Amino acid sequence: MTDGRLLSAYPPDGLELRLIERFTSLRQKRVLEIGCGDGRLTLQYAPEAAFVLAFDPDRASIDEAAWQQANRRLGNVDFRVGSIEQLPGRGAPFDAALFGWSL
Amino acid sequence: MVHALQRAGQRLRPGGALISLRPHRTWRPAIAITAPGSRLPVARLINPRFDRNLRAAESALERVVREGWFTLAGARSSRYRIYLQRPSQMRSYLELITPPRPRFPPGARASLYRLWSRAPAGARIEVTEYLVITVLRRRS
Repeated sequence: MTDGRLLSAYPPDGLELRLIERFTSLRQKRVLEIGCGDGRLTLQYAPEAAFVLAFDPDRASIDEAAWQQANRRLGNVDFRVGSIEQLPGRGAPFDAALFGWSL
Repeated sequence: MVHALQRAGQRLRPGGALISLRPHRTWRPAIAITAPGSRLPVARLINPRFDRNLRAAESALERVVREGWFTLAGARSSRYRIYLQRPSQMRSYLELITPPRPRFPPGARASLYRLWSRAPAGARIEVTEYLVITVLRRRS
């Protein structure tokens, strides 16, 4: 713990979204997230997005993300185990593709 | 990495945004000891393996723009700070980072402990991390 908060190496909630919003908005957008990890960032913007497809090759991270999603009752996120190689080449287009600490 | 960007681009609508958030390549995490009215820089962490990954990411982003897949919408840097109560928390902090993890340059960890032993009551260890965002737009 640091100052009563859990120790984290990642930016405080909101910082990354403020940076993103300088260039584009994710509100009501279809978002593809590559390398979502445990959904730390996904679950910050998902409540405003129209739909999110987020994947990560690490099953344990996706399990954690799905558990957090269920707790928050977010029905517009599809967390999947996998990599971008497994993304079908066709399908409804996305408005944004996000590589959050994963490129 | 270029392939991953191209693959993502295939699924973006024309004009859609490709967003990359990543650590800053040249502004390495900075460690300082802070107390009311004072700030004592100690070291910058190093991470040669990860630097190569970041260089490759930058290169891939530049290449997909150069090859006409995307246009550059913009890039911006930012920073954030994390405070630790004592030097022993540095180990926990570093273990939270996905490998390859940064480390102290030679002698810097010892310097942190030496300077901490002289720090005033109420001092904290400040870790400043830098990140960069690059946003590209898919060409029509």
